[in-house]
Amino acid sequence: MDNLALLMEGFSNALTLQNLLFALIGVLLGTAVGVLPGIGPAMTVALLLPLTYALDVTGSLIMFAGIYYGGMYGGSTTSILLNTPGESSSVVTALEGNKMAKAGRGAQALATAAIGSFVAGTLATGALVFVAPFVVEIAIGLGAPSYFAMMVFAFIAVSTVLGSSRIRGLASLFIGLTIGLVGLDGTTGQPRLTFGQPLLSGGIDVVVIAVALFAVGEALWIAAHLRHGTPATIPVGVPWMRKDDWKRSWKPWLRGTVIGFPFGAIPAGGAEIPTFLSYVTEKKLSKHPEQFGHGAIEGVAGPEAANNASAAGTLVPLLTLGLPTTATAAVMILAFNQYGIHPGPLLFQTEPVLVWTLIASLFIGNTLLLALNLPLAPLWAKLLRIPRPYLYAGILFFATLGAYAAGMQTFNIGILLLLGALGYMARRFGFPVLPIIVGAILGPEMERQLRRALQISAGDPAALLSEPVAVVVYTVIVLFLVGPPLVKALRRRFGRGGPTDGSRSGGGSTDDTDGYGAEADETVQFDAFGTQTSDGSARVIRVVRPKVGRRGK
Amino acid sequence: MTAPSTAAAPGLRARLQGRSELGVAALLAVIAIVIAIDTANIRDTAINAGVMGPRVVPTIIAIGLGLCAIALAISVLRGGHAEAEDGEDIDLTQKAHWPTVFGLGGLILVFALSMDFLGFVIGSALLFCGSALLLGSRRFVWALVIGILLAVGTFYGFVLGLGINLPAGLLTGIL
Repeated sequence: MDNLALLMEGFSNALTLQNLLFALIGVLLGTAVGVLPGIGPAMTVALLLPLTYALDVTGSLIMFAGIYYGGMYGGSTTSILLNTPGESSSVVTALEGNKMAKAGRGAQALATAAIGSFVAGTLATGALVFVAPFVVEIAIGLGAPSYFAMMVFAFIAVSTVLGSSRIRGLASLFIGLTIGLVGLDGTTGQPRLTFGQPLLSGGIDVVVIAVALFAVGEALWIAAHLRHGTPATIPVGVPWMRKDDWKRSWKPWLRGTVIGFPFGAIPAGGAEIPTFLSYVTEKKLSKHPEQFGHGAIEGVAGPEAANNASAAGTLVPLLTLGLPTTATAAVMILAFNQYGIHPGPLLFQTEPVLVWTLIASLFIGNTLLLALNLPLAPLWAKLLRIPRPYLYAGILFFATLGAYAAGMQTFNIGILLLLGALGYMARRFGFPVLPIIVGAILGPEMERQLRRALQISAGDPAALLSEPVAVVVYTVIVLFLVGPPLVKALRRRFGRGGPTDGSRSGGGSTDDTDGYGAEADETVQFDAFGTQTSDGSARVIRVVRPKVGRRGK
Repeated sequence: MTAPSTAAAPGLRARLQGRSELGVAALLAVIAIVIAIDTANIRDTAINAGVMGPRVVPTIIAIGLGLCAIALAISVLRGGHAEAEDGEDIDLTQKAHWPTVFGLGGLILVFALSMDFLGFVIGSALLFCGSALLLGSRRFVWALVIGILLAVGTFYGFVLGLGINLPAGLLTGIL
């Protein structure tokens, strides 16, 4: 039980006053930004990246991890009280949670979300302790061909599995790779896409990329469509649960954890799929399926647990392989890189103290979150009333500051504006942002691995298939790409449903409650054919917020 | 191209929306061409011999982007359309308010250009105040006061807390 000894050591490091303070700041900030509309954990960590110039590495990573976990808690509060989920992973929570809040059971919805998140987060972090070293053991023996294959896999996964359109996802990925291309080529020193501009020869600073895409793009997009007046929130007291609620919640928490963790842990992660899966599972297993759609507590407990478990699972590929699969994980990798640390299998050997302190701080952060969120929920709810002009002006203020501080160049603010416009376009035309940032970060690394693989074989591309792991990964990629269209074609042929998009969403948008049942059935289909998420999620989103449907059709 | 009067407004909007997405496809194609031209101009040096040169990856990206541009154009012409991102504070029923967007972009640009002269504190306080007003705040004084407090606080936070000196500009010697 080497791991446990290391973890204990991590706890003794994490429990110092300074690190506890960082954890506390992290979870407080994280919850606040999770609750605040328009700001997510990815944007917050991106805006705080300048702190890495001065803070010590352990402290700032503990804080960022706290923001990551805290953002999940805060997000559920917003979706329960506002019914307009900010992140795709809290869409499902809004389905039942908001109905509960409207029925006067908001306190119970918040309680089951908070306690479920704590249970799932703690269990999943525990799983991380055991799974991560195991993955490291395998990964350490892998060569460049396998790494290259896994990066391609991560690319394909973030751009085609998540999001609503494969073409747009892939286009986003290539745009990201293009951004990563700018600068001097690492091996040969040849300038690429620098257009003779010496300030570009070092590449575009990743802090600028992250801040532009997440903060400026988002702020401009919201500014263009700013809703006037503050949306009405449902007032709520301190969360609490009756015996009956506990009874109905504990099993969904555990099932959600089991569903969520593996989805986060494979480099195709994202919290969308497991939350939908958990919702569908709970609906099937529930003794009160008729309550689903009218505020069933299981429908909050399960997906919230799945959401947090998958967040912890995401840390497995992040720490052991250096592969980010969520936006926040992508920005966290940047934070590591700021200190010259590159997450990957060697991380556990070269930085054991840092890694285990970070993992220990996750347990601490989770406990802090539970302790803070139950009594403070009414206070957090007040944050929803913050005047929007100041909120978004503040985001722009810190975004320009972060871009300038990265290198003290006003030139960077110009790049910030340009990439911010790209972020705006991405949101306007339905291009997912995640593949852009993942492409920009992993692109150069992928090229390095590809070179290394080809160097050994003196340029023979067959070397890319020289390792069994690589062959397996490529097979999975092919199944990913070919499978869903094939299944769709077969189903159309045998007449079991088919794309009935138009009429279906039309019905859903006119009648919220009734259309809802039909849509939930759609998600059942998507889970049978794993990769159909995009369509499934798009449909459910349309029901939750009928406005989109009305506008689209 | 004349739609019945009852369906004229949504029909027209749908057609315009489709057209703007073709513009996106064109932009992707332009980026692909720029990468291709840039890649063609990379010199082959002795170091490149034997190993994968610096041209391989850009070539793949250019081809990939080009294919995406074509696929997107076909998809749009066949009636596919994007779903704009929704959010808590976003009201997609109203059209994009361009004066706000370009106003904010312009403010950031002015901020960048005047940084060396005005310095961080004055520039960013004005940026905050201007952005808040553009975004619909009607309390000019409040926006300015919050902006100044934020700017001065951040300035000292960076200098004293992080050891990073931000340009003081006009206020050199005062701050």
